[in-house]
Amino acid sequence: MLKRFVIWMLVLIAASSLSPLLRAQTAAANTAGNDQKWEQVPPERSAYAIKKKSAPAPRRDISGIWDALASGGIEAKGAAEHPALIKGHPQDELGGHADESLIEHPLPYTDAGIAALKEHKPSVGVRSVGPALSNDPVNGCDPPGFPRIELYDFREMQIEQTKTQVLMLYELDANYRVIWTDGRQLPQDPGPRWFGYSTGKWVDDYTFEITTIGLNPKSWIDHAGRPHTGDMKVVEQFHRVDFDTMELSMTISDPKYYSQPWQALNKFVLHRLPDDYDWLEYVCSPSDNVDYNNLVGDPVSNNQK
Amino acid sequence: MTKRLLTAILPLCIALVLASAPLFAHHGNAAFDYNKKVTVSGTVIDFLWANPHSILRFDAKDDKGEVTHWVVEAGGPPDMARQGWAHNSFKPGDQVTVTVIQAKNGAPIGRFVGNDNIILNGKPFPAVSGSSSAGAPATPKS
Repeated sequence: MLKRFVIWMLVLIAASSLSPLLRAQTAAANTAGNDQKWEQVPPERSAYAIKKKSAPAPRRDISGIWDALASGGIEAKGAAEHPALIKGHPQDELGGHADESLIEHPLPYTDAGIAALKEHKPSVGVRSVGPALSNDPVNGCDPPGFPRIELYDFREMQIEQTKTQVLMLYELDANYRVIWTDGRQLPQDPGPRWFGYSTGKWVDDYTFEITTIGLNPKSWIDHAGRPHTGDMKVVEQFHRVDFDTMELSMTISDPKYYSQPWQALNKFVLHRLPDDYDWLEYVCSPSDNVDYNNLVGDPVSNNQK
Repeated sequence: MTKRLLTAILPLCIALVLASAPLFAHHGNAAFDYNKKVTVSGTVIDFLWANPHSILRFDAKDDKGEVTHWVVEAGGPPDMARQGWAHNSFKPGDQVTVTVIQAKNGAPIGRFVGNDNIILNGKPFPAVSGSSSAGAPATPKS
């Protein structure tokens, strides 16, 4: 009996010592720094693809910490479905174009939309200019606003649900949105907000639909400088596929600048991260920008002070 | 248990080996000459772990004993952390050898290109090198 007890104790000790490795199967990889619990970085896309089958999607639940980075959330050249790139030229070497007429997936600009586009000087895409000439508002630490918070540097986000709200927390510039689910109507004449006014509802048990209006036209839609008016309406659908996977689709309507609605995201995949995941901070700091310009930006541009 | 161990480690190995997206094309690169790589050695002064770019500063001494003060930028913390960097990766007094692309105007200012060009105190840095992306994902502000 003693022998059997000792054997079982050894088995238990061995199993508990292997538990960190077993957790590593499902936990995020690549923690930076010295402390396993802090400053974690998400796995590459291939790591998600290898993982075992997920549990089923819970009903009416999109909560959790979600990773957009692995699916290409950086969206460096503009919204994922419409990068401002010419087919066969994935980099910026064709910058300097006056408009986007040659890009692979062009947008349905009106004349007013093209005129507004030309006011924006992005540092990426077919219309790119050098960094010193860009008037991208985020260069001066203006808020990215919505929907740019999901169409540029879309990294980690956390979603929590209360009885009357869905709260969205974003890594980029530590921004948040409040989506009201208490049945209220959107305001008739909203004053502009960087992140708008949002209401949400369940269209089925696994799809949460959000409508957002009242968006400040100072923000750019994406990193390629697509413009919008204060009348833009954005509809998102968060569809919970299984426990670990969500698909985000986004449609933008702004008739003055775009002759028809267009999809900025089409089933863009979000991967669920562990509930104890501490994502990195990513904040635009004006004083950090001044330091950078003093150390690097100005000297390399011959703008000596 | 062995199969489970392999299943746990293998995805991580694959993930580290695969190249990540070319983040350097995220923003304008006009100020740096991508055809002009230089290798420089020196003593670390400090390491700034911040957005828009992390910055390593070190003093390089030439054969005549003249010191050149180098400033080399990498990406901001969210991108460099994915490549195994941390706020305390470089300490004052550390010895580094780096290969960088240099500013077009010839200033001793450079940009890291990938992670396979850094020797820190005699050893490759970071310890597990897998990414070939350049370290400049954030917007250069000038």
